[in-house]
Amino acid sequence: MMDVGASPSIATKGLTKRFGKLTAVSELSIEVGPGEVVGFLGPNGAGKTTTIRLLMGFIRPTSGAATVLGGSAARDTAIRRRVGYLPGDFRMDPAMTGNELFSWFGELRQDYNRARIGELVERLHLDPTRAFGKLSKGNRQKIGLVQAFQHDPDVLILDEPTTGLDPLIQREFLDLVHEAADRGAAVLFSSHVLPEVERAAMKLAIIREGKLVTVSPVRELLDRARHRLELRFSAPITAELFKGVPGVVEAEVRGDTATIAVDGAAGPAMEAALRGPGLLRVRSAGDDLEDLFVSLYDHAPEVK
Amino acid sequence: MLSVLRQVLWRRRISTLWWSLGLVGFAALLALAYPTVRDNSELDKTFAGLPPGVQAALGLDPGSPLTSPVGYLNSQYFANVLPVMLLVFGIGLAAWCISGDEAAGTLELLLSNPVSRIRVAAERAGALVSLIAVLTLVSAVTMALLSPAVGLTNGLSVGRLGAATTATGLLALTFSAVAFAVGAATGRRSIAISTASALALVGFVIEGLAAQVNVLQPIREASPWHWLLGTDPLRNGLTWQAWVLPVIVSLVLFVMGTAVFARRDLS
Repeated sequence: MMDVGASPSIATKGLTKRFGKLTAVSELSIEVGPGEVVGFLGPNGAGKTTTIRLLMGFIRPTSGAATVLGGSAARDTAIRRRVGYLPGDFRMDPAMTGNELFSWFGELRQDYNRARIGELVERLHLDPTRAFGKLSKGNRQKIGLVQAFQHDPDVLILDEPTTGLDPLIQREFLDLVHEAADRGAAVLFSSHVLPEVERAAMKLAIIREGKLVTVSPVRELLDRARHRLELRFSAPITAELFKGVPGVVEAEVRGDTATIAVDGAAGPAMEAALRGPGLLRVRSAGDDLEDLFVSLYDHAPEVK
Repeated sequence: MLSVLRQVLWRRRISTLWWSLGLVGFAALLALAYPTVRDNSELDKTFAGLPPGVQAALGLDPGSPLTSPVGYLNSQYFANVLPVMLLVFGIGLAAWCISGDEAAGTLELLLSNPVSRIRVAAERAGALVSLIAVLTLVSAVTMALLSPAVGLTNGLSVGRLGAATTATGLLALTFSAVAFAVGAATGRRSIAISTASALALVGFVIEGLAAQVNVLQPIREASPWHWLLGTDPLRNGLTWQAWVLPVIVSLVLFVMGTAVFARRDLS
């Protein structure tokens, strides 16, 4: 968590962007302090990429402000030297190799750390001598990650960074994010799937239809979030078992298996399940982003 | 220093080599064919029978028949093949500089680095000028080396060949600057290419017709084609009209396109 009084590394204040009649981002205010990792979560088309492009200065706000390291990344090129950016759809000259891009960007940033690049390349299992056009989706994304991290920036702005990465590399990426935060970098990264951000971020900023729904610590959100459990019993049961149980908002029974949706604490639902005919197996179906939205709206009507 | 510019030169090195080979090849064919044309006076009679407007469009005028070096080079090279080749190369590259790179989704990545939009535009315009200059130079050197051997320099100095080639390069630069500016201002590669190509084509047609149609006389004065063909650098050398006007117009276009690019939203 950022210190009280410390100025945020990334900040938007009343940020609004309209494209003609479409309002892509509306009155958005979020802050990311030094050493903080904020997951920027929302369904596709919610305005995440627009917000990031406003922060980077590729587009200008209709009103409000987007600042990075206390200034404008659009006007002040010195600020961009301290920013690592990964676009949502990372593309580069297909004939260029990873190494060529890293040294070119190193030259532009006047910071070419060969040892650091070598370390990143090794950790992400990337072949930096192959042309971008000949690489798979996952390997292309790795080039994007290396160029974002190669100069150990003070601010990392990453748009859907784990797209196309296999689980092993995703874990390596999470380590990189945590290491960056540990040395004081501010990290903002977007995603449209919850499991991707819940492990990496400390805070989640949730956006929908261009508006901020909530900013909360991950743990708090997950505790509140609706989750789904699949329960298998040794004999067929009926939905009666979960009737009136606190927190259970949905119960669907098919033979000996019940699928229930629980808001908040799972305790009462589990107690009810234990009263059934021999509980064999519990499987958590994971937390779905749509479910999270539903529970957010149900429990916090003021943000609606 | 100039790392944006150098990256363009590096990226285009192979394609520039192929364009150079194409220019050398065509110049060689042109030179090899000249002795045959020179000794065929029937050709002059045939072309003299054509309407004056068609002759003008072909780059011929009564003072320099096809069999003369000036008539041959103007009608077979400087009034058509060379400008068209340089225009295709220049407009394509110019449209890429901002709008093509933007459409490919790679311009934003470059601009996430500590480089301003003005610097990117300026260095890319510099790369555009450099590469057009390279092709112009290749063409000039090839002609200078081959022409004396086949008698193309009879009554024509190598300097005049250089003047005509330079003026043609400047014509290509002017229309390339149109493509650059339109692409920089709109971010739309297709609009950049079609605007520059349409202007080049219309200018060429007007220059051909203006010899016949008096109404078009004032219009042609504003056409880069007239600055090139109207001054006939092969005969008169590089007059101020053939270089001052293209340089000023290109500069204004580069500055205007960059000014809009520096302020607008990227697409």
